[in-house]
Order: sequence, then C-alpha cells, then structure tokens
Amino acid sequence: MLELQGLTRRYGEVVALDNLSFTVREGQMFGFVGPNGAGKTTTMRIVLGVLEPDRGEVRWRGRPVDAETRRRFGYMPEERGLYPKMRVRDQLEYFARLHGLSATDAERAAGYWIERLGVAERADDRVEQLSLGNQQRVQLAAALVHNPEVLVLDEPFSGLDPVGVDVLAQVLADRAADGIPVIFSSHQLELVERLCEAVAIINRGRLVAAGPVEELRAAGGERRYQVEVADAGPDWVNSLDGVTLLEKQNGRVVLAVEGDEQRVLDAARAAGRVTLFSAVQPSLAQLFRQAVQE
Amino acid sequence: MRTVDGIKLTARRELVERTRRDRSFLISTLVTLAILVAIIFVPKLLGSDDPTEFDVGLVGAASQPLGQVQTAQGEAAGIRIDLRQPAPPADAEAAVRDGKLDLAVINGRELVAKAEPDEQLSLLVQAASGAARAQQTLQSAGVPPAEIQAALAPPPLPVRSLEPVDEDARSKRTIATVAVFLLYGQLIGYCFTVAMGVVEEKSTRVVEVLLAAIRPVQLLAGKIIGVGLVGLIQLAIIGVVGLVVAVASNAITLPPDAAGTIGSVLLWFLLGYAFYSSMFAVAGAIVSRQEELQNTATPLNLLMIASFFVAFTASVGGGDTTLARVSTFLPPVAPLIMPLRIAGGDAAPWEIAASLAVMLVSIVAVVVLAARLYEGAILRTGARVKLGDAWRSGRRQPAAGRA
Repeated sequence: MLELQGLTRRYGEVVALDNLSFTVREGQMFGFVGPNGAGKTTTMRIVLGVLEPDRGEVRWRGRPVDAETRRRFGYMPEERGLYPKMRVRDQLEYFARLHGLSATDAERAAGYWIERLGVAERADDRVEQLSLGNQQRVQLAAALVHNPEVLVLDEPFSGLDPVGVDVLAQVLADRAADGIPVIFSSHQLELVERLCEAVAIINRGRLVAAGPVEELRAAGGERRYQVEVADAGPDWVNSLDGVTLLEKQNGRVVLAVEGDEQRVLDAARAAGRVTLFSAVQPSLAQLFRQAVQE
Repeated sequence: MRTVDGIKLTARRELVERTRRDRSFLISTLVTLAILVAIIFVPKLLGSDDPTEFDVGLVGAASQPLGQVQTAQGEAAGIRIDLRQPAPPADAEAAVRDGKLDLAVINGRELVAKAEPDEQLSLLVQAASGAARAQQTLQSAGVPPAEIQAALAPPPLPVRSLEPVDEDARSKRTIATVAVFLLYGQLIGYCFTVAMGVVEEKSTRVVEVLLAAIRPVQLLAGKIIGVGLVGLIQLAIIGVVGLVVAVASNAITLPPDAAGTIGSVLLWFLLGYAFYSSMFAVAGAIVSRQEELQNTATPLNLLMIASFFVAFTASVGGGDTTLARVSTFLPPVAPLIMPLRIAGGDAAPWEIAASLAVMLVSIVAVVVLAARLYEGAILRTGARVKLGDAWRSGRRQPAAGRA
C-alpha cells in the first residue's frame, strides 16, 4: 500500500497542500483529479521526493519512503523532461542505470520498452528529432524502464492521439495487473472513470473525496432521478420539498432528491402519465463538479 | 546506490555526450590548435617584429664610422643590426616612415625614427656615436690604432651571478604565457558549459526526472566533474600538440622540466575550474531559459576577465611585482597567475604552498555554498530565483537526500 499521510506544503504564503491523506492499494489503477492549481503536481513531486513536504509523510509497504525506496518508483512529470540532444536508447539506458540497474540490465530493459512502445525505428535518433507523440512514448518508457514498484504519472494522456491513449492505457493496465499501484492525474474524466478503480478528488490543496468510484457515487448524499411525465410541464416539481430541478428538456426533467423518492413518483403520477422514472448514476465529471463547487 | 555511483553515472554521461556524441568538441579543439599554431608561427613570418633584429640606414659619409661599431656592439648584446645605405636623407625618411628601416642616422648628426625608437637600439646607436667620435678625436691626436682599440673596445667584464641562472627561463615563460591564455579560454569556456548544461536540464525539465532518482548534489557534482574532464582532456591534447609543433618548428627549445610546467598548468586548471564552475552552476540554476543566463553569468565573467588581466600583466611585466605577489593569495586570480610565476621561478616554495592552501579552502567554501544555492533553485521555474530565496529553500531540502 502507498499511503499519503497528512501532507502539507506551503510556498511562501500560499498553501499548496493542506493535510492531504489517501491510500492506493497495490495493483490498483488510481485516478488523481482536481482543477488546475489544486495541488496534484505538488503531491506527486512529494511522493517522488523531488519536493519535501512541510509536514506529513509518504509510506510504502508500511515503511516511510526514503531515497533508496524512491529509486524503485517510476515518474512521468507533467512538464515532459528528456535531454533533447541525447539519443533515445542512450537516454533510456542512462535513466535505467540512475535507478540502479546494471549496464546489461539497463540495455535489455531499454530495448524492451523501445519495442513495446513502438519507437524501435527511432531508437538511435536524438529525442528532438522525434514527433511530440513519440517523445511522449519515450517519456513513458523512461518512467517504466527500471521496472518500478510504484508508478506515478502526471497527465500521461494529454497530447496523445486515440491510438496512443489505447497503447498507454493497455501498458498501465498491464502494470497494475502485475500488482503495481498506478497513480495518474488527468483532466479527461471519462478516461479516468473508464480506467480507474478508485480516485481522489482534490481542490485547493485539500482532499474532497477519495475511494472507489462506486462508493463515491453512493456517498453522494443526494440522488438523481430522471422523470418523464407525458402531457405535463415541469411545474409539478415546484411543490416538492428537498427536490432540486437540475435539467429540463421537453417533458423530461432531472432532479436531485434528498430523502424519500417515492413521494416524487406520487407527485409525478398526480401530474400526468409517467413514462420514465429512473435513478441516474452521476458521472465522475458530475461528482467532480459537485465536489469542487462546494 | 552509493552517492559516488550517481556521480559517476552523471559524469560519464557528460563525458560521452560531449566528446563522442557532439562534433563541437572536435571542432573547438581544432580551432584552438589552429590559433595556437598561428601564435607560434606568425612572429617567425613577420621577421621585423623580432626585437633582436633591426634595420638601420646610414646616410652620408659622416654616418659610416658608426656602422662598424654598432654591429660589433650589437653582436655583444645579442642584437643583429643590418646596415642599409639609402642615398639622400629624404629617401631614408621615407624608408623609416614605411617601416623598412627601424632607424636612420643622418650625416652622423641626427637619428630619425618613425616615433619612439626602440630603447635598446637607440642606446646602442647613441653609444656607437660616442665611440665613433672618440675614435676620430683619438686618431687626430695621433694615438696608435691598437691603443684606441684597447681603450674603446675593452674585453667585456665578466659577470658573477649571485643566484643560479635558469637558462631555460625564457622557454618556460613562453610556455607559461601561452598556458595562461589557454587556461583562461578553457576556464571561461567550460565553466559556461556547466552553466548552460544546468539551464538545459532545468528548461527541458529533465531535472525533475533526474531528481526522482538521484540527489541534487550528485547531479551537480557529476556535471561539474564530467564537463571538467572534457575540458582537461582538451587542454591536454592542445598542450601536447602545441608543444610538439613549437619544438619541431624551433619556436622554443624544450626545457628539461617542460613536463613539470605542463603538469602545473593542468593542476591549476583543475583548481581554477573547481573554484569557478560551481558558481557558474548556480548562475544556471537560478534562471529558467538560456537567454537569461547571459545576465546571471556576467558578474562571474567579469571576475574572470579581471583575473585574466592581472595574470596577463604579470606575464608582460614579470611575476615578481607586488600585484603578482598579492594575487598569489587571491583565489580568483591564483589559478591564472601561478603557472606563470612558477614557470618564471618567481614564486617561493612557501608561496606556492600557501597559495594551494588558500585555494583548497576557498574551493571547499564555494562548493558548499554553491551546492546549497543550486539545491534551493534548481526546481523553481519561472522568474529568476533570488539568491536569498535559494539559500533558504536550500536548507529545507536536505531530507530529500535522506538515505
């Protein structure tokens, strides 16, 4: 388990992280979401030891993470970082060796990831000669080349074409299947929802919600219903307490309901012929907006 | 992984990328060699610039007696004088104006020079004039020629030196003077390479990937050592090739302890590089783009240029001036001036020892200071980092290296 416990970090007067805690299980794909400036990158930098927290600590398999442990972590920063003039293969071997691999292991690992991520033809070119998409593949290879125990990726999907997204998603799923915790941040919430078992939502340096997506939905408090009443306007909703009209379209309305939903059905039937009455699963995007607005 | 392994890996990367993978190393080595060869050969081609050879024009019969005396005395002083005979004084003046003659003697009464005549030549001609006049006077007084000869050209007085004479001082000086130029070029070039390398890592954000694997101090040390090795290899290649060319072309004679002189140049390069490079690394760490580096590196460049001028002054005016002696204990200047003073035999052993001690202590101080500033600044992108801020955040970081 990777545990983030009470992480706090200030930049001068600005509080970038305020007592942030959450846990990622081994083998879990974990989405890390929040608006720009929420503190995602700061959190990831702290996990990787690039930045020190003012308070709090990161634990891996029950022990505080030290420099030696972190060298077995893999990191892909949001601002991509490669030597532009270094050749792809040299660069990957170099990163592998910095993470403690022997020369022969580094060579083998670099060769494997170059093949796996489809940049074999460009292996002996300088990074600056590659397209941005290929540079991103090399960047990912740099995070994976030392066979890390933990993967932390800051916005790994941004700037990738749909094929690239699929390749990356498959690679990450494979790593998770091998029992590695995979944490990544993204603004593409549909993607996060599709790939991740669990998420953490943060806003202004604080954790707003964390856990499996299903639990977050259930814990949402208010539930949502889609109701369609034939031959009636939405006015029947007005008389109900604890019900908020979220959307209306033709005869169909989306309602946020607190407490008992049967009274809503009764009111709808009183208003006309009910052709649709169903619970709506809030999407991650909706949970996110709701969480961030509060 | 031990600290030293991280340093080795980063140093090796610098060495391989900058020598094997980058053609500019080969090009800059060749260009420096070409300049060096030019410095060796150009004075030979422009013979008139040689301070031991002069062309003197003698105009009119009255000037002729000076000629013989001049050549004879010149030879005694190690100066060769070629005598020319331009007919009218106007031609002689024109020849002096054109630089074909260094000096013209007009009718035994007047010396014509283009501007300030060479001091040594002028003394020689004045003395010759005095001797010629004396010879005439003695002749007309009826003194026998043999006595005149004995009176006017007595055998030279023997010289007894109180301290041993270093026959090779000139060659050593030449080597050391060229070495100071090379040292300055290498120092400024490779220190700036360190600064640019730091900015490159920062501006491409590769530093973030690196610092997830190794500590800032490992990255900094590896870069400085790797780039320094590249500079040292280049300096050694240039030094050896330059010396071979200079000796083969008879520009200098190889003093027996030439190896010692070259060794001292390499040693002082290392010390100077150790002193300056970490400061240049800080100049790179506090900015985020290459263009901004010019501003932050300027104070360091100025310090280096000023030090070079002090050393250059010593190479012209001798290594035993007060300025040269004081500079021995000034860490920014010492690496540039010490090879000269040592080669010229101007530095006492205690001065060398004290200079080395001051140098080593200040290197440790500068490196410790720079490492902290580097740590504090290297991850802050955007606006230029103030040194005070870098200093304060440098102290917050040590736990990053907890291992």
